[in-house]
Amino acid sequence: MEKFVDRLISQFESGQIGRREFCQTLATAAAVFAGGLEANAAPAGKGFKMLGLNHLSYQCPDYRKARDFYSSMFGMQVTNDKGKDRANLAFGPEPDKGGNFLVVHNPGANPPKPSEAVIDHICYTISNYDEGKVRAALKARGFDNPTGRDESRHVYDPFDYDIQIASARQENAFRREGR
Amino acid sequence: MEAFFATKLDAFAKGKISRRALLETLTLAASTAYAAAPAAAAPASDPALKIALCNHISYNCPDFKKGADWYSKVFNLDQIGASKIDVALPFGKRGEKPFGVTANDVPLTHLIIRTRDLNAPAEGGAPRRKSQASIEHIGYTVADFDREKAKADLKAMGVENVRDGGLYSLHMTDAFGYDVQISGVANNALTDGA
Repeated sequence: MEKFVDRLISQFESGQIGRREFCQTLATAAAVFAGGLEANAAPAGKGFKMLGLNHLSYQCPDYRKARDFYSSMFGMQVTNDKGKDRANLAFGPEPDKGGNFLVVHNPGANPPKPSEAVIDHICYTISNYDEGKVRAALKARGFDNPTGRDESRHVYDPFDYDIQIASARQENAFRREGR
Repeated sequence: MEAFFATKLDAFAKGKISRRALLETLTLAASTAYAAAPAAAAPASDPALKIALCNHISYNCPDFKKGADWYSKVFNLDQIGASKIDVALPFGKRGEKPFGVTANDVPLTHLIIRTRDLNAPAEGGAPRRKSQASIEHIGYTVADFDREKAKADLKAMGVENVRDGGLYSLHMTDAFGYDVQISGVANNALTDGA
């Protein structure tokens, strides 16, 4: 950390970065340091070291409707909502310590070119998954008959996007080993 | 935290403290500031449905092997449990915890890359509904992100359509033209769109 701060001060002294950038960079570095990122250095050789999902960019006809659904149902935290056309919905660890977020937004003026690939659903992990409580909570929101199996349920959001919620017991990549 | 850094930086700029004092103060503050920080409060919702992390992303494409090889190459991801129609790519090795997660029952996020009929029933239910929404790009967090170096690395790997995205990230297209974004943790729910 000291070497990093030393380098940052030098950049400030030489005018490469301004006061604001200095403070923001150091604040981010502090958060990253606390999260243990220094133990996750990129491997030597080609390719990047994936730390995790950063965000999902979710396009829909009315971002407010999506915002209200995901925040009230799944406890996602609303950030950077300027009341125009988009909002961030944070979940998991704190935003600068590995947290994920969903960017819910209205269609933009410059949409990406059409792709041959599609994300057909997203699965979210629920810690301490309790099938009875999950079913009751879903029923309270009008999802009387979610599809799927115990500890792995599918529901549709207000725009009919397929959402899966699951426990680590049911949905874990390493369960597939040896199959 | 930023205000504290600014105060010390101003003191240094005005000659009130030495460079050494600035270095020591900021290093100590940055190293310990978040040690006991509480978790961010979430809005009211049923705790039974509170999401801990993304579990997996279900990516459907014309050739799952080609798709998986692209993600393995660019992100150093292992391929696990291949079947005739899909394969999983966890964001780390067995036994590792997701970055920033302390709970023991939150697995590593993974991609499931598939080639399947989207009109087929999901998990024995009715055929999947046609959605008005879409995930039109995905952002991934990578270690030691340096935009200019990353740009050069991606081009060296033959990745197409590499371009800047906002202040902290890069965009590119994958093997099937899907929009992929990479960044460090500087791109997060507080900074993106701020």
